[in-house]
Amino acid sequence: MVRIKHRYLLVHILYPDPADPNAKSSSLTPGKNFPDLVQFHRPSPNDLTPQLFARAIKDQVLLLYGDYGLGLVTSSLYIKYLSPATSTAIVRCSRAHYRLVWAALSFMTHITVTSTQSHQSRACAMQVVRVSGTIKKVEEEAIRRARAAILRAKRESDEGTADGILGILGKEGEETLQGEKNMNDLSSMSDEDNEMGIESDEDG
Amino acid sequence: MIGKVPADVSSQIPDPLPFTTPKSLQVIRRCTLHLSDPSQNHQLRTLASVYDVLAIRPDNERSLQQACEALECDLISLDLSSRFPFYFKYTSLANALQRGVSFEICYGPGILNSDGGASRRNLISNATQLIRATKGRGIVLSSGAKRALACRGPADVVNLAVLWGLGQERGMEAVGKEARSVVVQAEMKRRSFRGVIDVIYGGEKPKRDPGKSAKGKPEKTKRKTDVLGDDIREDDATPNSISKREQRRQAKKARLDTGEILEDKPKEASRGSIILPDNVPAEDLPDGKND
Repeated sequence: MVRIKHRYLLVHILYPDPADPNAKSSSLTPGKNFPDLVQFHRPSPNDLTPQLFARAIKDQVLLLYGDYGLGLVTSSLYIKYLSPATSTAIVRCSRAHYRLVWAALSFMTHITVTSTQSHQSRACAMQVVRVSGTIKKVEEEAIRRARAAILRAKRESDEGTADGILGILGKEGEETLQGEKNMNDLSSMSDEDNEMGIESDEDG
Repeated sequence: MIGKVPADVSSQIPDPLPFTTPKSLQVIRRCTLHLSDPSQNHQLRTLASVYDVLAIRPDNERSLQQACEALECDLISLDLSSRFPFYFKYTSLANALQRGVSFEICYGPGILNSDGGASRRNLISNATQLIRATKGRGIVLSSGAKRALACRGPADVVNLAVLWGLGQERGMEAVGKEARSVVVQAEMKRRSFRGVIDVIYGGEKPKRDPGKSAKGKPEKTKRKTDVLGDDIREDDATPNSISKREQRRQAKKARLDTGEILEDKPKEASRGSIILPDNVPAEDLPDGKND
């Protein structure tokens, strides 16, 4: 028996457009002015469920590849992990067709959240930051990135450089280096983690 | 820019940008010229001197051909979200590639897909055509985005390019190397002597501490290499690197070699093969000789 081979995609949900005021008040604490960096990696709405996300991907696959593509993808597509707080997701798909799923993610421009009271659609961009054959590596990468993001946001908001293009681009190398260096300091920062809505979910 | 090029051209992009940028970020100013009438005189040289990169967006087949063959530009950026009533011909596109002019694929309109799928379909169709016609060479992938929402990460774009028929390697090049080469070539064209020779600032000669350079450093390095060399030689000589099978083989060879000397026989004879004297033809050999 040959096992079915999978690919795991680590997906970041990015929000390039500035938040509209009503959405901001619902998901974030009002009155606080967030820097652009945090706005860019904004938490997703809380009613974004894995089922909804899978539905959105499948709709996009259907739009791009039709019934044939959806048929290929649908049996193996599974949202392993979705954290609305960090806007991070791990998507599992079969190795043969992971590029179809990836293309569908690239072509997504919004996620429609239909809750009981409101029907809102938010412009967002999906960025696949890691593709791996094992979920372990994807998980490690997700944790590493979340840590680095927190540290960078904190540091830059202290320095006041987190706004504009400077904040969003940053320096990738510097960020990772800083992340490694401050790994030990992280335990002291766990209370800030909760404040920023980022949970260190270890079990994927 | 649409319409006639004005007599005196000045860069529309403010030179110190109104927002702060990281120090490592180099901003490159680019002008895209829509070209529909090939007979018109577009002051390309003046435009090129004002902007860092000059791209041309031909609207029809004739202007595309002209852009490929003659026009002094750095990039040919076709509007791939509209339908072209002609095929891209390899001969004319190869002409452009030979001159060092690259082709640009803007994926932005396809991502936003504002007109209900037509632009996306056209983009995919045209991109595959372009990749086929250029055989994947000289392709630059860029967003062509008017909103930040239409931008995608480099890996995402490469994945799209792979689906459109560009290989993974070529796709990576289209995002990185090709785009860089367009910028560098454009800079060379503007600054250097006939686009061939350029004088660059190579930096100051590093100041050396005379005491260090005389004694400390060279000796150190020398010793290091010596040590390295010894290591390699030792590795070769250690018995551990020889497998048991190899040892046995060598022992056997040694035995045979000594036997050869003692018995004064040719080497092949000990293996039981036939030795033919030079003057005896093979067919004259008696059958039982190899016993």
